Amino acid sequence: MVKYIPASKEDALNFLASHDAYIVAGGTDMMVLKRNAAGLLPKFDKDVLYISNLNELNKIYEDKEYIHIGATATLDEIYNHPLTPKLLKEAVGEVASINIRHFATLPGNIANASPAGDTIVIDYLLDAIVKLESKNGVRLVKAENFVLGVRKVDRRSDELITEIMFPRFSYDGDMWYKVGSRKADSISKVSVAGLYSITDGKISKFALAFGSTAVTVRRSHELEKEIEGLTQKELLDRCEEFVEKYSKIISPIDDQRSNKEYRLMVAKNITRKFIKQVGEGK
Amino acid sequence: MANIKFTLNNKVVEVDLDPSMRLIDALRLHFKLTATKEGCGEGSCGACVVLMDGKGINSCLMPLANVNGHSIITLEEFKKTKQFKVLEECFADEGGSQCGFCTPGMIFAAQSLLASNAHPSEEEVREALSGNLCRCTGYQSIVNAILRAAKEGEGLW
Ligand SMILES: Cc1cc2nc3c(=O)[nH]c(=O)nc-3n(C[C@H](O)[C@H](O)[C@H](O)COP(=O)(O)OP(=O)(O)OC[C@H]3O[C@@H](n4cnc5c(N)ncnc54)[C@H](O)[C@@H]3O)c2cc1C
Ligand code: FES
Ligand code: FES
Repeated sequence: MVKYIPASKEDALNFLASHDAYIVAGGTDMMVLKRNAAGLLPKFDKDVLYISNLNELNKIYEDKEYIHIGATATLDEIYNHPLTPKLLKEAVGEVASINIRHFATLPGNIANASPAGDTIVIDYLLDAIVKLESKNGVRLVKAENFVLGVRKVDRRSDELITEIMFPRFSYDGDMWYKVGSRKADSISKVSVAGLYSITDGKISKFALAFGSTAVTVRRSHELEKEIEGLTQKELLDRCEEFVEKYSKIISPIDDQRSNKEYRLMVAKNITRKFIKQVGEGK
Repeated sequence: MANIKFTLNNKVVEVDLDPSMRLIDALRLHFKLTATKEGCGEGSCGACVVLMDGKGINSCLMPLANVNGHSIITLEEFKKTKQFKVLEECFADEGGSQCGFCTPGMIFAAQSLLASNAHPSEEEVREALSGNLCRCTGYQSIVNAILRAAKEGEGLW
């Protein structure tokens, strides 16, 4: 089995073109997944490509349309960077522990495609784009389309995520909520992110995304369209109707955990809270 | 096999070890540096924390491949520093170490914090320790020790 440390992005892409390999960035998911007994090598059953030392993928920069976050930038670097979108900063600051944030990455979170991936919620909400590169060129995939299921993503084996791109746009207010944490072994967790804008007394932008409640992050463009165009008062008057509608898209579809009802209740409470926040323009 | 080259306790080392090997195994089994402890082996207890380029990282999750070209400091070396002396005294005075198993990781979580924030608040200390578990102390004495070290070691960080 080959365990390869590429010298450059090009070198990494050449390797992926000719090997069916695991990619390890920070390794904070992969090392747990492939864990073996102490003193023994992790259990990899195919070749491995280690990318964390590719400095050319470490940059965080902006252009007219996007904030670009390089694939090997650590969560701590992202947290401390002035260009990092506010909601992303808030979510990143709550991932795992500071020690882990010193080497975990953003593509690692979305490519791992866990229902509890915190930054995936923000990727969905901010319409982030996953930039994939291979020897055959570049492919841009919306985060929402990139995640296909638990640990399933739209990536060909010769492709490397080189950046996560966040469209630049402004809005009036937002919310990030993470309930519970994995820190002390508590698994029950709901994360919700929302943002909105008001123009001429009407809601001109409304977006809400839920993590940990279903197999993948949930966001409903239909419901958002229904809400956009309403006045704040109209939204407040119809608060319970929308809480119910949202609860339909977030209901956990399989009872992988016993606290399904609890999660649904928390998600509904947070939805209600956000609708009130938008309605009152806070 | 790839050659792994990095700085270990301020000396350049070059080894022919498997790049997928965990840093903690290389430290304890190959280099015989046993100050670094393994608790959970999956990133959640912090007993295995060492410094990589001055920042605390979990050596149980770190493959040697990713250490290539970087600088690792373990407690065997850090013990020689003035910063350690201050932390050691404050941990002793405040009762911040009982069985001692978590202590190497706690020391590095503290060092990693103080190096970037010399005057942390109690809340910042707690946040910095959130990835390090201790079964003995109940944390308050560790938090006190670090706050006290920041004061008594004024100018060191
Ligand atoms: C104790 C502990 C607590 C944690 N707490 C949280 C938490 O609170 N919230 C949370 O969301 N996560 C948490 N995690 C999970 C993990 O830290 C994150 O998912 C992290 O962002 C993964 O990044 P990484 O670089 O370490 O990924 P890796 O482990 O290196 O990779 C993860 C997956 O992504 C793929 N991948 C990585 N980079 C690329 C790339 N550039 N191109 C293509 N594929 C790629 C890998 O092949 C692999 O499938 C926790 C993990 C641990 C061990
Ligand atoms: S042994 Fe590494 S975090 Fe527990
Ligand atoms: S002193 Fe015993 S685990 Fe912390």
